[in-house]
Amino acid sequence: MTTQRMAAAALFAALLGSTALAQDVNLMAGVEPRPEGNSVVAAGAFKTEAPWTIAMSHFGVNANTWTVQTAHEAQGIANADARIENFIMLDANFDQAKQVADIEDLIAQNPDVLIVMPVTPTSADAGIQKAIDAGIPVVVHTGRTENQNFTVDIQGGAENFGRVMGDFLVDQLGGEGKIWVLRGLPSHPEDINRYNGLVQSLEGTSIEITQEDYGSWVYDLGKSLCETFYLNDPDVDGIWSSGADMTRACVDVLAEFGADIPPITGEGNNGFFGQWLEMGYPSIVAEYSPSQAAAGVRAAVALLEGEALHKHYIYEPEGWDAAKAAEYYRDDLSANVWWPTELPEETLQSLYGN
Amino acid sequence: MTQPTGTSRKTRAANRLFGRNSRQGNWWAALLIIVMTTILLIATTDDFATPRNASNLLAQAMPLIIVAIGQMIVIVLAGMDLSVGSVMSLTTAILALDGAPIVLIPLVFLAAAAIGLVNGIAIVRLNVHPIIATLSMQFIVLGIAQLLRPVAGGSVPDVVVNVVTGAFLGIPAPVFWAVAVVAIGWKIVHGSRFGLHLFAIGGGVASGQSDTAHNFGLKDRRNIVLAYILSALFAALAGFFIAGRIASGDPGVGSQFALDSITAVAIGGTQLSGGVGGLHGTILGAILMALLANGMNLANLSAFLQGAIKGVILLLVVALQSRKKMGL
Repeated sequence: MTTQRMAAAALFAALLGSTALAQDVNLMAGVEPRPEGNSVVAAGAFKTEAPWTIAMSHFGVNANTWTVQTAHEAQGIANADARIENFIMLDANFDQAKQVADIEDLIAQNPDVLIVMPVTPTSADAGIQKAIDAGIPVVVHTGRTENQNFTVDIQGGAENFGRVMGDFLVDQLGGEGKIWVLRGLPSHPEDINRYNGLVQSLEGTSIEITQEDYGSWVYDLGKSLCETFYLNDPDVDGIWSSGADMTRACVDVLAEFGADIPPITGEGNNGFFGQWLEMGYPSIVAEYSPSQAAAGVRAAVALLEGEALHKHYIYEPEGWDAAKAAEYYRDDLSANVWWPTELPEETLQSLYGN
Repeated sequence: MTQPTGTSRKTRAANRLFGRNSRQGNWWAALLIIVMTTILLIATTDDFATPRNASNLLAQAMPLIIVAIGQMIVIVLAGMDLSVGSVMSLTTAILALDGAPIVLIPLVFLAAAAIGLVNGIAIVRLNVHPIIATLSMQFIVLGIAQLLRPVAGGSVPDVVVNVVTGAFLGIPAPVFWAVAVVAIGWKIVHGSRFGLHLFAIGGGVASGQSDTAHNFGLKDRRNIVLAYILSALFAALAGFFIAGRIASGDPGVGSQFALDSITAVAIGGTQLSGGVGGLHGTILGAILMALLANGMNLANLSAFLQGAIKGVILLLVVALQSRKKMGL
């Protein structure tokens, strides 16, 4: 074997080895390397001796109970790792301009890794580039960016989320009927992509969207929407709700009017589980765990440990039925817990105990 | 401005010291908190007093400084412009359209001037309250911005990015923006007959005699319309700056700026009742708000706490500004 062939064989072996190692890193249950168009961050590329400073730009902590929990999940994982000396999390409050400023402020503190939950597809682009130019690895999750120069990303498939719900309705309605659509925030990428998933499910069917509006993923607005929808035209065969709080609200409205609950889509939320299991209406859970924020911190730690990681990870779990929801439901916790969670029991009790 | 008869010498001295009778408003409280915050941050953080952070801070403050100057112009008139945030969003949406910069950039300012004109006409001709007129305009403009760009994205012309994020002779572009904007603002507010008329019109409203300026022969209606046009133009300029920072269009990017600009103007000592205010106070107010955001980020304060702390500090600044009203 010539020297060149030996070098090529060694390189091939190293690539195989790094790929195998990358596959071994478990970021979160349900998170898998993207099967197509992926690459590997080489082992040791960002290996750094502890103690570490990890910086995180959160798209908006206090928007709703789910976003609050993502912050607790990330903070919880960081607190549990003694090697993370400094975990800095800034809240962009769903403001693209603030996220630009936040990332500048985070880079100014020379973190070992920058984690970004982007407000919009472009809000973090300049910041990501500045960090990469400064030699800081960047982990992106729970939102896509146009700038693909990040180090690792973990994307919960919003289209998959909407499709899981849409397929359920198509199945329940036998491909025809009238549905209401409760969307999230106007112009929010997550809302648009979930809706795209629904549209894909409805293609080729005779299901008609008769009423559609935005409920911002919150209970009060969801309730107002469903009251309006019902008073406008109570004839409905199914309801596609983009979030569990709006689902609960809509079910409450229909119950108040004494109407039957048609098939309605739900999410992994403790309050929704309690209502669903008690009332037994036809539904499905599209999983979207707040532990994605913990997975982001875990990816950051893996990079600093010198582990090989894939560049792209996806999170596209299947829907849950009532039996699986029953396994998770906790009547000793408030309606505000989102499942699955990695928060330890004492934190759950402290934050959400009844 | 005269002191009420019977006021003691000590009180008069204190009033002079704290600017309680100044037409420029009580801007010293904002300056005091800025100085104290700066000293605290230098003492407690490693990364505050660095050239990189100074550059960051100026760039972060600049959009609010620009939009707050326009807001101050209408507030001095006892008005208010709630549409400035939507104008900023529309500006980024227009700049992210497919088109040549030579078309898009003038279009931005033409659109802003038209918005300001409609605001002004609604207020002076249709007698719509400024809050209602500009709130309605806020929704109209936001809707147009969302039609042009339903989701944040796209890209703005390179020239926009370069004039905002670039550097000249090693000096960051925001420094030149600061000099230019302050000079223009100063000329309009404190260096022109128009500026003097603003204070006269607003002062009349604040003292309960809204037709005083008109009776003295000032063209109050024309000046009010012009003030709203200027407010919209400053908002467009702020939107231009933001578009350069985010390099894209976003129909929601200006959503915080209407209230933030009013807050900056208020903590800079400008009275919301009209007739009292100043450019330097407004700039200090905007810098204070940016400094608080930057400082709390660098001090690693919890994301859960930052909003509350910001609210307490802003309340403190305004509470320090107990000022006698015009004419008292």
